[in-house]
Amino acid sequence: MAEPVLDIAGLAKRYGASTVFEGVDLVLGAGEFVAVVGESGVGKSTVLNCAAGLDTIDAGRVRVAGTDIHALGESAQAVFRRHHLGFVFQAFHVLPHLTVAANVGLPLLLQDAPDPMRVSAMLSAVGLAGFEARLPHTLSGGQLQRVAIARALVHRPKLILADEPTGNLDPATAERVLSLLVEQVREHGATCLLATHSRAAAARADRSVTLTPSGIVA
Amino acid sequence: MIGLLRQLSWPELRHHPWRNAAALVAVMLGVALAFSVHLINASALAEFGAAVRAVNGEADLTLVGPRGGFDEALYGTVAAAPGVAVASPVVEAETFAFDAAGARVPIRLVGLDALVVAHVAPALLPRPRSGEQRLSVLDPDAVFLNAAAERRLGGAATTLVLQTAAGRRTLRIAGTVGAGGPPLVVVDIAGAQVALGHIGKLSRIDVRLAPGADRAATLAALQLPPGVRAAAPSEASDRISNVSRAYRVNLTVLALVAMFTGAFLVFSILALSVAQRVQSLALLAVLGLTARQRLGLVLAESALLGAAGSVLGLALGAALAAIALRLFGGDLGGGYFPGVAPALRFDAAAAVGYGLLGIVAALVGGWLPARSAQRIAPAQALKGLGMTATPRAPGFIGIALLALGALLATLPPVFEIPLAAYGSVALLLIGGIACVPGGVGLALAAVPEPRRALALLAVERARHQRASATIAVAGVVASLALSVALTVMVASFRDAVTRWLDVVLPADLYVRAAVGPASGDVATLPERLPEAARAIAGVVRAEAQRVVAVSLNPRRPQAALLARSIGDPVTSLPLTGELVAAPAGAIAAYVSEAVVDLYGATPGSTLTLPLPDGSRASVFVRGVWRDYARQYGAIVIERADWLRLGGDRRINDIAMWLAPGASTAQVEDALRRLATEQGYDASLLEFAAPREIRATSLRIFDRSFAVTYWLQAVAIAIGLFGIAASFSAQVLARRKEFGLLAHLGLTRRQILAVVAAEGAVWTGVGAGLGLILGIAVSVVLVKVVNPQSFHWTMELLLPEARLAALCAAVVAAGTVTAFLSARRAVGAQSVLAVKEDW
Repeated sequence: MAEPVLDIAGLAKRYGASTVFEGVDLVLGAGEFVAVVGESGVGKSTVLNCAAGLDTIDAGRVRVAGTDIHALGESAQAVFRRHHLGFVFQAFHVLPHLTVAANVGLPLLLQDAPDPMRVSAMLSAVGLAGFEARLPHTLSGGQLQRVAIARALVHRPKLILADEPTGNLDPATAERVLSLLVEQVREHGATCLLATHSRAAAARADRSVTLTPSGIVA
Repeated sequence: MIGLLRQLSWPELRHHPWRNAAALVAVMLGVALAFSVHLINASALAEFGAAVRAVNGEADLTLVGPRGGFDEALYGTVAAAPGVAVASPVVEAETFAFDAAGARVPIRLVGLDALVVAHVAPALLPRPRSGEQRLSVLDPDAVFLNAAAERRLGGAATTLVLQTAAGRRTLRIAGTVGAGGPPLVVVDIAGAQVALGHIGKLSRIDVRLAPGADRAATLAALQLPPGVRAAAPSEASDRISNVSRAYRVNLTVLALVAMFTGAFLVFSILALSVAQRVQSLALLAVLGLTARQRLGLVLAESALLGAAGSVLGLALGAALAAIALRLFGGDLGGGYFPGVAPALRFDAAAAVGYGLLGIVAALVGGWLPARSAQRIAPAQALKGLGMTATPRAPGFIGIALLALGALLATLPPVFEIPLAAYGSVALLLIGGIACVPGGVGLALAAVPEPRRALALLAVERARHQRASATIAVAGVVASLALSVALTVMVASFRDAVTRWLDVVLPADLYVRAAVGPASGDVATLPERLPEAARAIAGVVRAEAQRVVAVSLNPRRPQAALLARSIGDPVTSLPLTGELVAAPAGAIAAYVSEAVVDLYGATPGSTLTLPLPDGSRASVFVRGVWRDYARQYGAIVIERADWLRLGGDRRINDIAMWLAPGASTAQVEDALRRLATEQGYDASLLEFAAPREIRATSLRIFDRSFAVTYWLQAVAIAIGLFGIAASFSAQVLARRKEFGLLAHLGLTRRQILAVVAAEGAVWTGVGAGLGLILGIAVSVVLVKVVNPQSFHWTMELLLPEARLAALCAAVVAAGTVTAFLSARRAVGAQSVLAVKEDW
């Protein structure tokens, strides 16, 4: 059996005496698109942060492509993310002083492997051909999220972590962006963990799991 | 607006009390310094003016003569003239008294007729102490002290030892006089004439006119002899004001520099505050707060900081002034008002003025942050795309300001104050800072797009945010420019003084009896002492010098006339230019630069000198020399010429050249013996070797300029605080950027390296520009402000090693500051910044 891309086992997160969640087990196979739903504040984003090594864990383990990410040091975690992870956020997060092309090409540049052709192709794939030289403040919210999706995929990561990627968009735009995300993830053969409270968004995933304080409910 | 301040600004203030306290303290210190300097100056001038009025009395007419005095026979003529109600004869001079420890105390000796003085100058009326007879006021051996003299010489003393033309003389203290001001001793006119060697001479006659008498007609009827004239009523006060004007103006400018740095700190802190609140302000904009209201809100915060700082600054300034007046006197040790210990005179109008100045400084500092709050694009800010770029001023403005600054540096002084030069310094600083974005833009335009991620991030950010980076750099530019300018000016001045001392102290040993030209008529050496000195074993050469205070313009402080052996002026005087050959028969004079500036005595011109007998003589100006000792001018002529012109034979200094191996101590002993043999009190002789004079002079110099080192330290500290605040603001604004970079795989160390590198580059740019601007400002200070203020010139000296160390220290400090600012922002929580919706 192929090694899972994401393997979370017995994960727990606490803030002081308060337990956010515990006993979280989740396995994502290669190319799988999984949605995590749950009430606000249940810790969906925290699960994603823990999966990326951006937040500490209080119990359990997280393996990404076979690597126990929490066993790595801070720098090694960063380098790991650089190569194997892609992120899409609710609030887009593009760098305002970089052009669209520079924003998308940033992950490649961080790997010392700039590739303008691939950046252009990625922008074409998300419907932003010709937007290379534009600055972010000239784009709409939907366009900004497309830039973010292109950036998340341009370096062909194994795992995409998408945190409420349609939360800031109107329903029509959200639908288009979500379709694009699903399509691109599938086209790139990536695995995606989507945190959302939108049933419509969750319905686009291969499967959907619910996060509760006591663990994952399928 | 008050509601907004209470709801929005007050919580912000409470949330960052130390930061806002720093801005308040900066304004407070600026106002305190400026106000205290004003109070000290005003109090000293008022006190000194009152003292002069007390001594000069309420005369309708004051007849003054040459320095050597005029024939007392004139008194009889004046007293009997029609239109004259009362005439009061006066003999006066500066001399020294000796305190209980034997130390010299500068004192003014006033001889007068106690029977008439009450009508003209009641403050000088002797008041016999209990036990003294009323007629003691006419006793030539009885003296009456004012409060300052009593304080300085000991209130319980019964005798006063005075340095007179004939050596020490002990007089009986018989009472007091009410005149305020510096130490003063009143004696019967006959006693004063004897003590000062002015037998049959008067210094002045104070006249009260009869009711209805016309001043001009009375004067015309008096037919005053040559050399005697009626002094204009404002002469004395003008002279006093002129004495310290340059010093006072320079102190005030320093205080205004403190105010400028205070404004800069307000700017830095409010810029940080606005950057932190950009999303709150954007939300308020969405909720209906207009752009003008946002501008007004930040300006109101500035004004409040300024008002609070001003109120505290005024209180602190008054306290500082009171302490400084008590500890250092009215001239802060500058030596312009010796012996005056003025009481603080609070000036309400000035308090209002300086208070408003503090508020204006804070408003100036708050203007740019307020404008950036006004320009917030709410949608963009709420999307997390930061603030709109600050609109850049057109590039030509900075260049135009620099050009205007250069132009102002070429203008002459205004009312003898280098106002245009100070304007030039300000414009150079502001113009230089205004050129930063354009200059950086030009430099960045030439940089190809980097192929490395970290370099790309830094360069692109620099390209797009150079206006906000200018804010951080401005602090470095301003503070370093001031520091460099002060360093270069002080180094140039010290080097010039050192080299000047080498030229003006050619002999091996100096002996003198007078401290300055003001007391030169009393504190003299025996006339035959130089001749005797030449006969001492080991003395190769001995030359006498006479120092006389001469008035070339009654409204100006007196210049010094030095009559001495000149020899070859090229080697004996620190000349500033070529010598002009004197016409046959002309008396050659060599004037200091101040005489050229103040009286137009350029080489080749003729200068009219007042002589002791009241007559005048023309001398030919052959050349100009540098004199760092006498701000109001000095003229050197050959002693033989001085004697031929009718000058007195008295001398004040002797310069002695010794044979190799000669014992200085033995020469001093021998000279003391010879002085005693000539009937002179040898204990009054003061010996000094050039090395001691040089060391003492440089010690005094260093002490005088020690304040500039403090000022530099404060300027640099404020500049670094500004950098810290600006970088903190930028780093806060970039928290999401750092969070995103962490997601994308940048390590914390890499992010810190980017920010530290940006800090190093920006501080380096600031240091480079600050260095260039500082040197430009120092050229203005050395070549324009100094000559226009103090009438002396010097060569510019660049202490390269110190300047390099200064720049390196600032760059290092700026880099560390940026690094520390970033460390807070890229902590563990920074990755969560990407979760913030707004």
